[in-house]
This record gives sequence, structure tokens and C-alpha cells, in this order.
Amino acid sequence: MATATYTPAAYTAPDAAKGAARPWFFTRPAAKTGLVSWLTTVDHKKIGLLYAVTALFFFLVGGVEALLIRIQLAVPNNTFISHQLYNELFTMHATTMIFLAVMPLSAAFFNYMMPLQIGARDVAFPRLNGFAFWVFMAGAIVLNVGWFTRAGAPDVGWFGYAPLTSTAYSNQFAGDSSTDLWVMGLQILGVSSVIGSLNFIVTIINMRAPGLTMMRLPVFTWMTLFTAFLIILSFPAITIALVELMMDRSFGTSFFEVARGGLPILWQHLFWIFGHPEVYILILPAMGIISEILPTFSRKPLFGYPIVVFSGAVIGFLGFGVWSHHMFTTGLGTMATAAFSLATMAIAVPTGVKIFNWVGTLWGGQITTRTPMMFALGFIWMFMMGGFSGVMHSAAPADAQQQDSYFVVAHFHYVLIGGSIFALLAGIHYWFPLVFGRIVSEFWGKLSFWVIFVGFNVTFFPMHFLGLNGMPRRTAVYDGNMGWNSANLTATIGAFILAIGIGTYFSVIVYTYFKGKKATGDVWDARTLEWSVPTTPPPEHNFHITPTVHARDAYWYEKTHAKEIEAEKAKHAQEEESHGGIHMPSQSWFPLVTATGMLIGGLFFAHHNFIGAIAGGCVMLLGVIGWAFEGPGGYHLHIAKDGTVTGGEGQDHH
Amino acid sequence: MRFSPAFVLRRAASTCALLSLPLLLGGWLSGPQSTFDVKGPVAREQLNVFYVTVWVTMIIFVIVAGVLAYATIKFRARGPIDKNTPVPDQGHGNPFVELGLIGASIAALVFIAVPTLKAIWYTYDVPEEQRASAYEVTARGLQWWFQFEYPAEQIENSGQLVTGNELVIPAGRPVRINLRTSDVIHSFWVPKLGGKVDMMPNRGNHLWLQADEPGYFWGQCAEYCGESHAVMRFRVIALGAEDFAAWVENQKKPARTVVPATDAPKAAFASYDMTPKKRNAPGYTPEFDADPMAAWTALQFPDKDEDASLVEKGRALFKEKNCITCHSIRGHEGIGVNAPDLTHFGSRSTIAAGLLENSKSNLHRWIVDPNGVKPGNKMYMGVNGMAGYMEMDPATKTMTGKAHIAVNDTEARAMVEYLHSLK
Repeated sequence: MATATYTPAAYTAPDAAKGAARPWFFTRPAAKTGLVSWLTTVDHKKIGLLYAVTALFFFLVGGVEALLIRIQLAVPNNTFISHQLYNELFTMHATTMIFLAVMPLSAAFFNYMMPLQIGARDVAFPRLNGFAFWVFMAGAIVLNVGWFTRAGAPDVGWFGYAPLTSTAYSNQFAGDSSTDLWVMGLQILGVSSVIGSLNFIVTIINMRAPGLTMMRLPVFTWMTLFTAFLIILSFPAITIALVELMMDRSFGTSFFEVARGGLPILWQHLFWIFGHPEVYILILPAMGIISEILPTFSRKPLFGYPIVVFSGAVIGFLGFGVWSHHMFTTGLGTMATAAFSLATMAIAVPTGVKIFNWVGTLWGGQITTRTPMMFALGFIWMFMMGGFSGVMHSAAPADAQQQDSYFVVAHFHYVLIGGSIFALLAGIHYWFPLVFGRIVSEFWGKLSFWVIFVGFNVTFFPMHFLGLNGMPRRTAVYDGNMGWNSANLTATIGAFILAIGIGTYFSVIVYTYFKGKKATGDVWDARTLEWSVPTTPPPEHNFHITPTVHARDAYWYEKTHAKEIEAEKAKHAQEEESHGGIHMPSQSWFPLVTATGMLIGGLFFAHHNFIGAIAGGCVMLLGVIGWAFEGPGGYHLHIAKDGTVTGGEGQDHH
Repeated sequence: MRFSPAFVLRRAASTCALLSLPLLLGGWLSGPQSTFDVKGPVAREQLNVFYVTVWVTMIIFVIVAGVLAYATIKFRARGPIDKNTPVPDQGHGNPFVELGLIGASIAALVFIAVPTLKAIWYTYDVPEEQRASAYEVTARGLQWWFQFEYPAEQIENSGQLVTGNELVIPAGRPVRINLRTSDVIHSFWVPKLGGKVDMMPNRGNHLWLQADEPGYFWGQCAEYCGESHAVMRFRVIALGAEDFAAWVENQKKPARTVVPATDAPKAAFASYDMTPKKRNAPGYTPEFDADPMAAWTALQFPDKDEDASLVEKGRALFKEKNCITCHSIRGHEGIGVNAPDLTHFGSRSTIAAGLLENSKSNLHRWIVDPNGVKPGNKMYMGVNGMAGYMEMDPATKTMTGKAHIAVNDTEARAMVEYLHSLK
């Protein structure tokens, strides 16, 4: 997909000249196309695409799991699937959708768009970025490998409440490795998320283009930053919990072992002090995407930018102070319940502020309802509904009836599908022309939107009533005399409409990738820097000349001050060339090798085979050593006045 | 206080909601576990808080959604737009609008916060002034059934009264329920009487509730607790003071023994229909659903047609098949504590933890094929290291495929007759 015309040279040359030839395994791969280029890539755009494709695959897997669940619940006392399989399905549906679909799809946008939005040529640590992806793949494999083993997939629920996860109770009638795979898979995924987040934080703080002050950052980049901070602050909590559980299961410690005085409630606190920020990890990127799309299609800056940014920070901050609202029914006592009830209500304020500002953005604009805008508007409506049912949960006495009922299921699907997924689908449409140089058909795009919108509401709206009518969640069967039959059947029909909508959406995306209408450049009359790239798809080095930022909507400013910018760019081009041209990072095998070590180690450890685990650790260590000693790599590109790119001569290493 | 905004809003809210919502979606909110059809003060208080949240959020929704819809339509671009179309005002927002909206949001939340706080304290424990009249019981969750213990009802040489899966309480009196678990986390939920509270290992939780009138209430475990979580159900039966006293008196008695008649048995087999259950068949007959309280009441009295010799045969089989190692039948052979106490099993309206109506054919099926009725149950799989119907290899935790207990049709008929005689 790269359109540049340069030819990368062999990177061993300069070393050979110095008379210190590196052994072959320390030379850096240079393939720009083909499988090797993807396995060794350090380009944030390629890594973004790897995240996106993997996330969409798991999104479909999680969707199929959801459909099986809905078929089972279509009629009372159904015998379509067993209780055991049902429990595995709802556990894996949630785990997959949260950790393997929504989070990596957000990561795909962070990777691809954030460096472009800040006018950078890559992230701060390109190899680490590749590593984060391959570690994510390792975690995804470990989580899902259970489907192909005798023990089956994990069946402890996505929040794996102790002591159900202890050796005494999990999968008690079968060989028990599924919970170990779940524990190990989540730990590996945590490593990936934390590494990726640190990289994004360093990138945003340090690699902004000249003039791009923090208060000029695009809101999506701000939300990337907040999400990254939430991840590095919240994942340690679940990692501690998972390590403790792993110790309980593998080495007989008693953190959560009831019989030896362990405290299952401790697990819940540790889990939710991660789990609630996790909710915002899932929704803040979505809010960022919406805050990009609404201004573009209203032809107006975001209303109340500082307030939107600040409320994002407040949400992130308060998000660490409300975790116990997931535990209102665990007997917290009156004072703690009251405190967490009020804190939870408080978080509705910054969330509401964002909605007000989105409406304010539309006000007085020139709204064009193109497909991305349809999804963005759909997001506001659905997220509002999910938000309001969230406020209902914050009233702890009302929550005593709603907790663990289908009312909660309705609530979080409104937030996660109507919120996160709608925004991510909007983002795919919005940035598709930038990434692939093709544009999705308006007719098919809008059709898929309406089918998804209708299917989603038909599926999840009745669940509010199911919950209020006393149906608990995570139940494989229900009896026919409970008044739940018609609502459940409606929800199942809705799920199939939703599936048709999602199917249409992705068929159209795939079709457009191969045969869609070509669209180049700034197709939406957009406002932020990613649209100022010289070609769509962007070249590997992103910008011929590092942009200089003069205003908040940087690209809008460039478009309205074309002459001034042109002169400035010519000057900067000269400066950049006099500094030796554009510095690019070299590719590397070692992120993949190191992550493979984690995969091997994780799989063996989950089966309590510690020799194999040590072997995996050795592979990982070899990867790290190779990583350290393969040399820094790097090469320079030069842009001629007419825009042609040359590079590869006079390779140098700094 | 009486005319505080929260109070007025709450009254208005509950009145409107009571009138409108059930009418609108009556079919979807009137089941046996409806949180709208409340039958006690705790559930009522929780419902009132819910109505407050519904109405506050509805009003905000109507306003915000109205503005959103208006803006979307009003500010639609007229005609095609390209880069040369004059741009709208590039305003960045208005701080006074922002502050006003933040203030309004906080004010709206205060409406919800005040009744919430009051209800948190009210629903936590029996109010001080009623504490003297409160009745105390203990509910214990086990995979996948409930045990109910009555510390106030001590039986000579046997400790407290213990029953399974059906909690009988006095109506019109606060009941404080101590919540315990013997294995994983479960949650005690009787929607019509009150919200749920979890049963946490190594932690003593409690809740309180009160049934206004005598009645038959559906409950269900509300925290995922393993394979059979979906079918871990129970019932609460509230009785008037006299009925309750009579029930307690009967329950405290040891198991009923049917005196065998001197003449020949009436029938070799009990006569009940054993046509195989249809796929997706409900657990309850329409007659039972029509008036569960009447069905429960009828079960309190011995069956007129009971066959004494068959009962005696069933009692012997109950011992022979090793049922006694897990089940207690006070006064008879059973001494086990790993499974529900069956001393007065015949007077219960449900079997398999509320899954099925306690009819002879259902019980027959449950005894012959427990795993087909309730997959993964411990009567079949074994519990606490003891084999159930199947033998399990303790090392690999896999079924060996060898039967430890097998009950054939003839035997099951005798055992059904015996168990149903335990009134």
C-alpha cells in the first residue's frame, strides 16, 4: 500500500564499511511488502491496521457467541446448548468483546491516527509499538485456546468472582485449565495494554509538531492520552489480583481460598478498581472519535473544547472513585454505599457536559448527514439512553433490584454498543478514505446504519423490561411462566437484525477496500492534521514536511491560510533537509520473537508445566537480548521539491 | 419535610408511573418476579427511588433529546456543500451556557440523591421501632440450592429447624434474614419483597424484608455461581400468624411414618403419568401457576391414596441407595448434611431448587435422571468428596463413567411414594 518510490538499501553496508559486520540475525529486515513486512513492521500505520483486522475478527467471533446465547434464550427451557457451554459463551463473549474487540479497535485508531493528528512521523518507540501488538496476539490466543481443549473455554464470568475461580469450584467436573488460561491470557493482554499506553503517553507529550500546544490537541488525541493514563493506572490492580489468583491456583497460596481464610471480597475490590476505569477505557476513545466527526460534518469547531477536554479528565479521575457501585449488593454497609452512590451520580455531570457540548457543536452549523455522521448522531442518542440507565443504577436502593438482572445487561450494551461500537463504526467510515484511498458508498453505509440501529434497539430495549420483571443475567434457561417469553423472543429477533446490519457493514467495507470508489485527499473538508498528509493512504513517513500548528483546528487553519502556510512549509523543508532529511526507524524481528516467548510461556504455565514455562521465558529473554543488540537501525529519506522521495544513500545510525 | 421537592416529586412520580407504565407494557412487567408488583415495604421503597430516577432522567431526556433533534433538523445544510460554501460562525462555545448546564445537572442529581440516601438507611436493616417484632432466619446458599435455618425454632436433640428451597415466613412482620454461604458467592433475591444481597464467603451479610399479606413469592439466585446457576431458584411463602405457628409446629415434628396396613397393597405401582417431558416443557402446570398458594396449601396434608407398603419399600430403598449419607430425614434413617433436609419434603411445592413442581412424575424423573433435569447437580456428580450417582476420578476431576447409584422405574415409584408421604 505504500506509494513512495524510494528503495531501501541493505542496512549492513555501513557496518561492513567500518569493518564490524553484524551477524545475519542482528541485521534488520527491510521488506516493504509481503508477509515479512507485516511481521517485522514498526510503522504505526501498519501496526494500527494489524490491530484493526485482529479486533474486527474477534468482534465477529464475539458476535457469533452472542447469537448462540440469543438462540438459546429465544424460548423458555431451551435445550439448544448445555448450561456448561452457555456459561463458557457468556464468559468469552464479554472477555472477547472487551479485551479483544473494543480495546484493540480503539488501539488501532490510537496507533494510526494519533501520530498523524499531532504531526509526528511515528510513535516514540516504534519497536515497542510492534511488540505491544504481538503481545496482544499472544494474549488473545491464550484466552481462546481453551475452545480447542478438553477443559473447554473459561466459564467463570468475565469478572471471575472468587472463589468460583478457585481450584475447588471452577470447572470442577472436568480437567481444569480453562481458568488458568483466562488468568494467563488477561495478564498477557495487560502487558500489551500498558506497553502501548506508555508509548502513546510519551509520544503525545514529546512528539507534537511545533506550535501544537496541549490546548490545541485534537480531542481524539486528548482522549488517547486519558485512556493511556487510565490503562497504566488501572491495569496494575487487575494484574495484582490475577497474580494472586495464579498463586492460589498454581502454588497453593490463600489470597482468595475461603477454607484457608482468604477473602473473596478482596478480589471484587481489586477487580473493580480496574474494572470501572476499564469502562472509561472503552468509552473515552469513542467520545474522542465523536468529537472529531461532529465538528467536521457541522463545519464548525467543537463547542466548549476546554470543557470537553476537562470533563474527559474529570471522568477519568472520578472513574477511580466509583468502583464499589458494582458491589452495592455485597453488603458494603450504609456509609460506603451512600458514598459510592453519590460519587457515581457526580460522574454523570462531566458525562452530561460532553453531550451538551456535542449538541452545542451541531447548533448553528451546516450539518451534512454523511454515513460517519449518522453513526455519530446515533451514538449521541444511544449513549444518552445508556447514561440515563446508568444514573438509575447510581441510586443504590434501586440498584438492589437491578444488579445482576437484565436491566444491567441492557444498560451496558447501550453504553458499549450504542456508545463504543457506534463510535468505532463511525470512525471506520470517517477515516476509511484516508487509510485506503477509497470511500464507502453512501447508500450501503446508511442502510447498514439503519439496520444496525433498529436491530440494536429491538435487541436491547426489551432487556430493560426483562430486568425490571426479575430476570437475572447469566442464566442459561428460564421457565415459561415468568412473563419473560415475548421480550426474550423479541430480543433474539433483534439480535439477528443486528447481525444482518453488522454483516452488511463489513461486507460493504471489504467490497470498498477492493473495488470501492477512489477518493483522495481531504474528502470530508476536515479540520485536523491527519487529513493534511501528502497522499491517501499516507506515505510511510506521514508528512513530507513536519507541519507547524497555528490554531486548534490545525488543518482548517492551513486551508484558510494557504499562502502563509505554503511559504512557511518551503522554509521548513529546507531546514529539515539541512538536518539530514527525514529519519525513519528500521524494522525488527525481535518484538515478534519476544512476544512468541510470552505465548509459549503463557500456554505452558496455564497447564502448570513449569519447565515449558521456563523455556518460553528463555525464548522471551533471547528476544530481548536480540532486541538490545541488533543495533539502532534507522535511515533517512529526502523529499525533492516536486515531492518525490529518495532515500537509502549514506545509511547512518545514530 | 412533608412538602419538600423530593417528596412531592416522589409522590407524583409514583402515581404517574403506577398509572402509565403497567398499562403501557403490562405484559412485560407483571411476572412473578416483577419489581413493579411490590408486596412489601422494602421493595416499595426501592421502587419509589427507581421512579424518582426514571422521572428525573425522563425529563432531562425529553429536553436534551428535543434540542438535539431540533438542532439536527434546523441546522441541516441546505443544498450541497463544497469547500467554497460560506462557512458558519466558527464559535468555540459559551462559558455561561456551560456553567448553567453544569449547575442544572447538579440540581437534578440532588433530586435523586435525597431519596436515595434515605432509602439506603431504611432498606439496610429492620427499623429500630420494629426490631422487637422482627423474626430472624438464616438463608444459606450452596451450589445450587438454598438452605433455610430457623434459630428461633429449636428442636430437642436436633438443634434449629432446617428446611430447603422454600422459606416460610410470617406475613405482616419484618423478617431479618442472615445470609451465609457454604461455597461460592450466591445472592438472595425475592423481587416482589426486596432487592438482592449477596451471600459472601467469610462474611456475614443480612437483609430484611416484610410481606404485607400472606402469599407465594418467587426468588432466584442472582449471582453467577457455576454450572447450574440458572436453575438455583427458591420460594418464599408468607403465612398469617396462626398458619405460620401451625406450620412451625408441624415442621418441628420428626418425619411422618405411615403405618403399614395389614391387608395386601392397593397397587403394585403408583398411578401417575410418566409420558416423557416434551422439549422446552415448563416446570409448572397451568393449574399450579393459577394459584400457587392453594397448591402449596394442599401439599401440607397427607395424600388420601397413599400406599403404605409402597412407602415402606421406598423408605428402605432410600437407605439402600445411599441417599441417607447426604440427606437428613429427622426421625428416619437420613443423617447427611450435604444436601437439603427432606424431613417434611412432601409439604414442599417445588423440587430441584425451585426448578420443577413437586409432582409425582417430576420427582420420578428427578430421581431416575438427575442430570437430565438439572445438569451438573451435585446429587449426580457428587459433593465434598462423596460420590453421587456417578463416580468421579478425584485426581483428574473427570467422570469415570461408572454408576455409583442407579434407580430403576419400579424403585423410583416406591421412593416417590415415600418422599411424598413426608408431610
